Amino acid sequence: MFNKDNKLEKFKDAETVIGASVKVKGNFQGQGNIIVEGALEGSLKTNANLYVGDKAQVVANIEAKTAIINGELRGNIKAKGYLAIGETARIFGDVHYGEISVEKGAVINGQLLMATEEHRKNESKKEDKETEK
Amino acid sequence: MHVYIYDDYLNKNKYNKAINRMEIRLTDLGLNGKIIRLSGIKNIKGTIQNEIKLGAKTIIAVGNNQTVNKIIGAIIDTDIYSDFQKKTLLGIIPLGDDNSIAASFGIKNEEEACNILLARRVEKIDLGLVGKHYFLNQARIQSLGTTINIDNYSLEIMERGEVKIINLLSDPKETIKSNPHDGLLDIVIDTRKKDRTFLTVPKLKISNPQEKLIIDGVLDIKTPVEVEIMRDKVNVIVGKNRLFE
Repeated sequence: MFNKDNKLEKFKDAETVIGASVKVKGNFQGQGNIIVEGALEGSLKTNANLYVGDKAQVVANIEAKTAIINGELRGNIKAKGYLAIGETARIFGDVHYGEISVEKGAVINGQLLMATEEHRKNESKKEDKETEK
Repeated sequence: MHVYIYDDYLNKNKYNKAINRMEIRLTDLGLNGKIIRLSGIKNIKGTIQNEIKLGAKTIIAVGNNQTVNKIIGAIIDTDIYSDFQKKTLLGIIPLGDDNSIAASFGIKNEEEACNILLARRVEKIDLGLVGKHYFLNQARIQSLGTTINIDNYSLEIMERGEVKIINLLSDPKETIKSNPHDGLLDIVIDTRKKDRTFLTVPKLKISNPQEKLIIDGVLDIKTPVEVEIMRDKVNVIVGKNRLFE
């Protein structure tokens, strides 16, 4: 997630990419890694990784396994695992995370809520059950 | 029995040499069969359907994308389709321009096509469906002003460029991995600002009040229109160097 200069980088393999010229409206649900460079209004959910680029404008509640946020987010974000917030990120909403890193310069207007170890275990069990189904 | 369907444009003299070469090669390989020339035939659908009823094991489109689409259009959604799906294979011998479908299947030219027919490597291929029209490769439309509705969300495109809805890749330089037997369509949006959007869906509705959707480069369709995928519709003889796994 970090390069040599300790900057956040997007992952290479994404099943879904929302480019800078595209605006998504509604409840977007993906199965794999998602990259958002454009605009999104509504909600966004994935069971994998999420990357929000520095020019992205997201007005939505977000759920992901892990996430890297570099753009603007108006809404709550819930990352079950690792959440990385870059220096260009501007978040207006509550932030739920398993683990977190915040770069200098990031703006967060909301509560930072860390999931307890027990909560994480429960979430992990739920995921296992869903996979078994 | 092999049935070769020659498209009407192959009547032109410039194709004589290539056709002769191809026919000699087919005879050498023991693949000769019945030849049907579409020039002069008014009821193309009826003629093709009749050959399947008579027990054709392989129908070979000799021509270009339009030839393949004519054959598929004559078979899909008809009484003989279930027979065709169970018993008949579709082969392609490309001649002339507009042969992106053959290229997708790894068939570069008529000589290679003959060898591929002999090797008989078969893949079940999905078909895209736009309204009542089927397509193998892709549908495309100008991106500015295009809206795509998918399940609970929509995409609006705010820049000039192109939207491609891909079933079967035709461009070997394309970096996305598209699979024509996964039951999914790949949406690729490339704009002049050099940004790319990519996602995979089974069904969508597309609209643009100013532009038409072009399927397999040959047919214009007014929008709004639904685009969906029909799984494993055709058994196609493909080459080793096809553009999918």
